Amino acid sequence: MASSTPSGQRVLASYAAPPAFLASPNWSKVYSTILGQLPLRNIHWKSNSRGTLKTIQELQVTLVPFDSLRDEHTSQVPGTLLEKPLLHIYIVHCEDNDLDTYRNTLKKQIKDWHTAVTSRRNQDWLILQIIRPDTLRQPTGNFFQIKNSVLDKLRTDFNSDKRDRCVQVNWITGNDSPAAWAEFINKMKEGLLYAFDSAIEARQEEVRRSENQQAMPGWNFCTFFILKESLASSFEGMNLFEEALIPYDELEASFYRVSKERNMSWFGPLLPLDPNQDTSPFLSTTKKPYRDLILENKISVLDFRIYLLARQCQLLAKLGRLAEITSKATFFLGAFGERLQDVPTLSPLFVEAWRYSSALSVVEHCNTWAAASSIEASKSASVNAGKGELLDLARSQLDVLGMVAGHLPIAPPFSTSRTSTKIWKPNTPINFINETLNVAINNKEAFYELYVAVLNRAIDFYAKSGRRKFALKLHGNLAALELHRGNLAAALITYTSLPAHYAPHMWTSLESFMLSRALDTYNKLDRTQDVEWIHMVLSFLKTHVEHNCEMLVGGVDKVTCVTTLISSLRESVERLENLAHPDHPIITIRVASNAKLAGGRDGSFLDVHVTNHLPCAFPVDEISVLVSGRESDKFRYASSIDDGCPSGKSTYTLFCATPASGTFLLESSEIRSAHLLLQSNYRKAGKVALPLLIRVPHDPLALDIRISQSNQIQLGRLSSLMVVLSTGRNNVNNAAIRLVAPSITFYARDAELLEDKHAKSFTAGADRIELEGLDEDSDIIFRVPHSDASALTAMKVKLEVDYATKDEPTIVRTSQFTRVLITTLPISVNVEDFFRGKKRVHSTTTPGNIQLISKFTVSTTSHQHVRIANASLELPLDGLEGVNITPCVAKRPVVTVTPIQPANFLFSLDSSHGPVRESLTLSVKYRMLREEVESIIQDQVRGLLEEFPSKAHTRTVLVSKLVNALESDAAWVEMYGITGELAVPQTNEGPHEFDDLMKEAVKRLSQHRHTEHPEGKWREIKIPVDVPFMNIVAAARIRIISTPFAKETLAEELPPLYAGQPISANLNIYTTFHWGLSPSDTNRQYILRFNIEEMVREWLVSGPKRGDFVAKDGETYSIPITLIALHHGEFALPRVTITALPMSGAVTMGSMAVPSIETYQEHGAEKILVLPRGGRTTFVVSMGPG
Amino acid sequence: MPPNLKLNAVAFISPQNHPILIRTFSKQDDHAIKYHYIAHTSLDVIEERVAAAGKAADCYLGLLFSMEDVAVYGYITPLKVKIVIALPLSDMVVRDTEIITIFKALHMAYYSSIANPFLKLSYSGEGSSEQAALLAVGSPKWKNFKRRVDEISWLVGQPSNP
Repeated sequence: MASSTPSGQRVLASYAAPPAFLASPNWSKVYSTILGQLPLRNIHWKSNSRGTLKTIQELQVTLVPFDSLRDEHTSQVPGTLLEKPLLHIYIVHCEDNDLDTYRNTLKKQIKDWHTAVTSRRNQDWLILQIIRPDTLRQPTGNFFQIKNSVLDKLRTDFNSDKRDRCVQVNWITGNDSPAAWAEFINKMKEGLLYAFDSAIEARQEEVRRSENQQAMPGWNFCTFFILKESLASSFEGMNLFEEALIPYDELEASFYRVSKERNMSWFGPLLPLDPNQDTSPFLSTTKKPYRDLILENKISVLDFRIYLLARQCQLLAKLGRLAEITSKATFFLGAFGERLQDVPTLSPLFVEAWRYSSALSVVEHCNTWAAASSIEASKSASVNAGKGELLDLARSQLDVLGMVAGHLPIAPPFSTSRTSTKIWKPNTPINFINETLNVAINNKEAFYELYVAVLNRAIDFYAKSGRRKFALKLHGNLAALELHRGNLAAALITYTSLPAHYAPHMWTSLESFMLSRALDTYNKLDRTQDVEWIHMVLSFLKTHVEHNCEMLVGGVDKVTCVTTLISSLRESVERLENLAHPDHPIITIRVASNAKLAGGRDGSFLDVHVTNHLPCAFPVDEISVLVSGRESDKFRYASSIDDGCPSGKSTYTLFCATPASGTFLLESSEIRSAHLLLQSNYRKAGKVALPLLIRVPHDPLALDIRISQSNQIQLGRLSSLMVVLSTGRNNVNNAAIRLVAPSITFYARDAELLEDKHAKSFTAGADRIELEGLDEDSDIIFRVPHSDASALTAMKVKLEVDYATKDEPTIVRTSQFTRVLITTLPISVNVEDFFRGKKRVHSTTTPGNIQLISKFTVSTTSHQHVRIANASLELPLDGLEGVNITPCVAKRPVVTVTPIQPANFLFSLDSSHGPVRESLTLSVKYRMLREEVESIIQDQVRGLLEEFPSKAHTRTVLVSKLVNALESDAAWVEMYGITGELAVPQTNEGPHEFDDLMKEAVKRLSQHRHTEHPEGKWREIKIPVDVPFMNIVAAARIRIISTPFAKETLAEELPPLYAGQPISANLNIYTTFHWGLSPSDTNRQYILRFNIEEMVREWLVSGPKRGDFVAKDGETYSIPITLIALHHGEFALPRVTITALPMSGAVTMGSMAVPSIETYQEHGAEKILVLPRGGRTTFVVSMGPG
Repeated sequence: MPPNLKLNAVAFISPQNHPILIRTFSKQDDHAIKYHYIAHTSLDVIEERVAAAGKAADCYLGLLFSMEDVAVYGYITPLKVKIVIALPLSDMVVRDTEIITIFKALHMAYYSSIANPFLKLSYSGEGSSEQAALLAVGSPKWKNFKRRVDEISWLVGQPSNP
């Protein structure tokens, strides 16, 4: 670095010494030692004006003999302050105690020198006394005279102010250690700085004075410039580069101020006259005698500016701030070039050529500077960026050159480089100083090579600096060049890859530009328009739509451009296979939230508002919308379009043939153009937006399907459900029904049609049921068996119906219905069994006289009322011999079972041949109250409408209105239960078109009465009932007899019974094994135990109150007992309990088997009248003889 | 007479580097693409500047670069919306204070435009509505922002008062 500093700018210091010392051989030793201490290091300099502490790392000081300093004030031109020495050093060799020598000779010599030195302004001095070390070792007898040493003398003689300018160095030959010289060096630094500061201060004062005189006549900017520049060069000489920059920056600012005032008389012309302009290295301060030119006021403005810039750049380079150099240079080239453009006399393209060569030259400069000072990696990025910018600048100049020379088209991106609107006459001779440019402008290929080289260098620099986006832009330029040169394939590759870089951040403008270029290239290549091309077109249209405010494709009319694109797109998509493109913005669809019913046929219409964002029509073949319901059933609304979708908004009505009602979710929409499918999905995962709902009103006349529990339920058999297909308005040609439910299998093959009057053909297939020829307005009912569903409370059945109507045989409608079937039966049945003796004919029970009485309690399982027409206990189909069932009531009216009131049904069962092993069937005919009422309404309305055939279509609506009215109020239920009258409550709905019909229907319903016999459709449930068996059935009877000895007593002859009186009675226990497990049981014997229960308030029981006995089939065991009534009154006889004892020998499950036994009290209902004891009692006492 | 500044183009770029509005005030249509490029490329430089400045960064980023015939200045709002303006390159001193004044005016214009509550309303349906609303302010549907920017550009071009 030091070498680059001109020697004139080094810091000077002079030396002097007594002539004798100079002549001595010691001098050369001392001199070389002092030189050895240089350069000075780590000088801390504090700026006066700014007050900041700066450190000068290293400062070269040149020592010159004092005598050589001669001519002062040789030049009037203010040069650098360092031209003069800053410090004068006097070196004297004198031992400290050698006062005599000093006084006699040295003092005068120093005095002379000192006078000469102090006369100089802004220079400092220093006296160096060198002593020998051995002098110290001398024993000093005059220790107290030390004050009078030579050093002290020197100090007192010469130090004029506080600063001590005298230094003593202990000289040891060969010892040049910094420690020994430290004080001297410090003093030297101090002196240098002191001198420098005062010099600078003086100069600054001078500058300030000159600056203040600006307004005065005779002030010259150039003189001022040179004056101020001297400050800068002084700082530079002191290696204070940052300080040196400041004057230049200030000078630049004052130049602007001056030039703003348009007072340019101090300068020569704007441009130098010599044409040798653009070959020279741009940032060189020596290529021209700039300073002389400035002093002579002859410098051109351009040269002046270049000089100023070059000096700044030099300083910046020394500071290592290369990035600032490039940005300064770029700005200058751009800005000053603009100014030059206005000069009319310039040769054509001078500015461009100047910029081009200057930019390249700056890059070269930077390279050399960078090589000279190693720059850290973090900074090199910005330097590279700066170099890239310079090369970019050079590139844009080439754009202009190329366009003028005809090598490049006058179109973007090249045309954007044209900064002036000047138009050169054709055939203007173009000649440059730069030979490369001359060659390039005359030779196309050479130009391209040059262009590509510059471009690639720029890209390289940008890439190194991490400026990706700049590099991208240049890649675009490169591609444009390739395109122009005809390297279509290369251009296409670049153009197709570039949009991806702009797309992610939605720089649609640039993306669309690239895409349009790519498309152009594609067209020029004559490639077939394949999928890639279509994608490109679609992306282009997308950017076109999104960036609709402006299109950056110059020249071509937007609409024509897009129109041609669309038509060729259409051609190519016709050739291709289906190509789906999601979420393309050229056409947006807004779907109405309410669908309309089709009216005359099944299905609904849905309006869509289509917005075509293109400026021209888009060929659309079909628009469709997919909606989905709760059960993920999907419906498609579609409409084909003949003449394309015009630009702007338009409305289309889509049709969905499937009848479905409810609320649906908008799933997706699709626009089909030949094989191109533009889809948009409205239900994206992770999207928080609210779903779009579409409401489809209910169509009462559409084909409908319902399911219900089978009207023939047989517990224990395969369950089945009933399907009701209502054709509504449709004359159905054929229909196919599939039933699906999770975890349940439907046996479609076993389906049976219940009412076949409406269907011409009924085919039960393996998995579907097919029907043909169904009339309109009819219900087809069939039953489908399915696997057990009792584990589920409700069964969700999905029914798929494919059907085609007579009117529209080509349309196959596929409807999906999801219906829920409650598997729980509406009624539950409990049974209680009793064994009882038959009506007593004889006083004693005889074998076979015990019958079974079953009590069935039917209750509803829900809150609904159930109407029961009949309940019967049935034998198996072929009957059972000897078994006879008698209901307790021969005929009963329809019973209503409510949640609080169950119904009981009793049956008695007689069996002459022992136990009944077959199970019987309880069959209940029932229907829900709601069903019954609905069917009544149906019938009534049907009957009513037969009188008004024109209004037949209103039937369904009318029925539902009536049902709704009944649902609103339950007051009619009681009345209906008794009489059958249906009092329809008044509804406060608004007037309706068939109010009259409604009134009539209400009237008819109120006249409805229950018929005597249950009519209409009833459901039937068949429940298998097992007849219980009982090992032993016992009948116990306490029979009162008149005397203890009477064998038989007739009841009517029973004597009056009194309280307290013993009453004789017989306990008879009749046992039968008739209802036992098997008929062979009759031969068995069981040991039973009887117990007469205590009734301590009424009876005293005497006799065998408890005992065991052996029971045999059909036999009666009798035992006499005596009862005493404790008080009078009418009360029942005590109960007898009979328990079976474990059978000996028979062991069941590890314990003794106890036979089952049921006992009934024959006297359970009897009561005994006990009279109070009254009257007189006579006691006869035998007196004995005598 | 002091030279008048003139705005060639103004670009607003979202924190996610999406363009919000790019407004060019030059006559030539061809040059629109140039300012789009400039807005895009200036992102690189802004990134460098912000990274270099570290935490103590100022909003005003100074001259970003000079390209062809424009000088590009950058500004980044505390919420990282970048504003880039392009002035014609001239051999005159352009004082930073003037540029900062322009930037502050533009920032204010943006700020008052996004304060429009209806902006968010119309984009509430979409995901990340905050972002969409910010971007939407520059869409052709919302004219106020553009009008404000145009006004500033017009004002800048007016001869300053003596």
